[in-house]
Amino acid sequence: MTSAPGKYSFYVEKDAYEVTDRPRKLLEAFAAVLEHSSYGLALDVFARVTAKCSRCAASCQLYEATGAARDIPCNRSELLLKVYRRYFTQAGVFKARLLGGGFTLTEEYIDRMGENFYRCTACRRCKLTCPMGIDHGLITHLARWLLAEVKLIPKALVVSVREQLQGVGNTSAIPPAALIDTCEFLEEEFRDNYNADVKFPIDKEGAEHVFFPAVSDYLLEPDTLMGNAAVMAVSGGSWTIGTKNYDGINYGLFYSDRMMERIVKNEVAEVRRLKGKKILIGECGHATRSAWFGRTFCGPDAPEVVHCLQYAHRQLKQGKIPLKDEKIEERVTYHDPCNIARTGKITEEPREILKTICRDFVEMHPNRTENYCCGGGGGTVSIDEIREFRTKDMGRRKAEQIRATGAKYLVAPCANCKKQLKEVCEDHGLKEVTVIGLHDLLLKVIDFDAYRRQNQNEAGPVAATTQAAKAEEE
Amino acid sequence: MDAMLEWARGPVFVFSLTFMLLGLLRHVLVTFYEMRRTLGRAGDKVLPYRQILKATAQWLFPAGKIRHEPLFSVTSMIFHVALLVVPLFLGGHILLWQRGLGISWPAIPNALADVLTVVAVVAAVALVVQRAAARASRDLSRASDYLMPLIVALPFATGFLAMHPALNPFPHQAMLFLHVMSGNLVLVLLPITRLSHAVLLPSLQLVAELGWRWPLDAGSKVEKALGKQGEPI
Repeated sequence: MTSAPGKYSFYVEKDAYEVTDRPRKLLEAFAAVLEHSSYGLALDVFARVTAKCSRCAASCQLYEATGAARDIPCNRSELLLKVYRRYFTQAGVFKARLLGGGFTLTEEYIDRMGENFYRCTACRRCKLTCPMGIDHGLITHLARWLLAEVKLIPKALVVSVREQLQGVGNTSAIPPAALIDTCEFLEEEFRDNYNADVKFPIDKEGAEHVFFPAVSDYLLEPDTLMGNAAVMAVSGGSWTIGTKNYDGINYGLFYSDRMMERIVKNEVAEVRRLKGKKILIGECGHATRSAWFGRTFCGPDAPEVVHCLQYAHRQLKQGKIPLKDEKIEERVTYHDPCNIARTGKITEEPREILKTICRDFVEMHPNRTENYCCGGGGGTVSIDEIREFRTKDMGRRKAEQIRATGAKYLVAPCANCKKQLKEVCEDHGLKEVTVIGLHDLLLKVIDFDAYRRQNQNEAGPVAATTQAAKAEEE
Repeated sequence: MDAMLEWARGPVFVFSLTFMLLGLLRHVLVTFYEMRRTLGRAGDKVLPYRQILKATAQWLFPAGKIRHEPLFSVTSMIFHVALLVVPLFLGGHILLWQRGLGISWPAIPNALADVLTVVAVVAAVALVVQRAAARASRDLSRASDYLMPLIVALPFATGFLAMHPALNPFPHQAMLFLHVMSGNLVLVLLPITRLSHAVLLPSLQLVAELGWRWPLDAGSKVEKALGKQGEPI
């Protein structure tokens, strides 16, 4: 680490150091969460059956790299289960009264929890190897929420959420005017580079899909966004970008259900404002997973969630995406973002697309539901001060996986994975690897000439105007 | 000694068995009730049942999971098979049920029971040795984690010696007493320790999934309970 950021290995806000009486506050929060949310049953059963068999250790890329006892998933989860047993089970309370002494939640213990639960990316790989089905990702998720109630949150996460909920309205603080500028600029790029008329429809009421990419894509990944827009355009998809809310990022998922709920509700509100039907998520893993919680927060009427890979895959299968004859020649591999792949929800769509458009597609091993996390999951990627931990410890296994494929393009359809993987490649000397979005590759192979011809034949309104304009020019 | 033996396999056994059955029944009922309650108030009630069933089946019959940790997995599986088969299907045990309650079922051959009994004891010791030998599990283990397999193996070891007087250096009646009492101990421990996974295991995958199924407005309700409405982020 370049500089010691203070008490924890990550920066926290100044007022985090000013919270007094944290054990009492954390326990109050714990009690409220047990009463009003659904963690109780899982904790109760997990606390009962945990057998400490250590199978999870072998599945964790962090433990594999550090070999430290505290990095065994089951050990980390025990930090929370111990608090649960002592304060929220009859046996624990009884034992403490009867025998006295024993475990007590202290300030130091809370610090230890803070440090350890941010050494987990909540990738949930270990859940697959636990005979008792203990979901260590769920425990990390809950523990971070409880820690947040005593303000123990990495500064990077809380600053983003503040900007999104109290500031400009998105995590990158891009004002609507700048968004519109960017979209117009990208439309120009389409005209200049592809001679194609591709629109980024803004605030179009009644569009089927309302688009929520990771907002950082507008700053960092213009090619991904152009790929998204191109797919929508050539397939004749109905979509729009809402100026009241255009950010799919939800760091609430990483530290507080309270924040997560507000962010998801804002997303749904924007879809309803625009009278849209579906939430279309860009290339972002956690944005997808948090949007999937729509029904949880807004009930069964919440809009359906479509991931842009699912959309593109369906259009490609239906032959609605005209492709050039030439394919991507370089070797391509695919990284499964945990948030969309771990439960097997989105694993085949990207592969079928890539196999269609690339000549040399190779798999990483293991893959799909058993993939290794990029090392920046759970929001840790945005914590710059722990880069060395992220790339050297968390990312070591991933770097080996990437190296073994010998790929030139590493496709990762997730803004967080992309940032992390770029840093992993840099820090592990994988200079020949380009980290890229799947839509960036699609953009390279879409046949815009065919799209233009098709538009002319159909003589739709857009095509007609462009034709008229061209005729005038000539 | 006879009186003590009668006491052990009379009232103490009846108590232990009842304690176990009621305790395990309580686990099943409470878990089932809580699952219904959690799902009932969840905002999103659509569960991936197929996936949950598949994961549950994979762990009830974990042959497919051996490859991750071959030695440990195989030891553990053998241990479990012996544990389930011998007490329930030993001819001698069935005879006791027949005498007491007049019910019976097919028994396994005594020779097989002998083999499985030795296997159970060896596997229990092997599990403890493996636990101590591997760094990760050593770092995780509580004292009870070492103790538990040995306690569970006790009725097997004593039962074997009671069945084979030629190998038994101790008085037969005393060994039989130890056998019955250690068996009673395991019965009592079943509902109140991690041994309760015997009945909870089929529910665990569903329980884990339900942990993510929060009620509508759970976040806002917690916010209100903590008096944090309107608090700046």
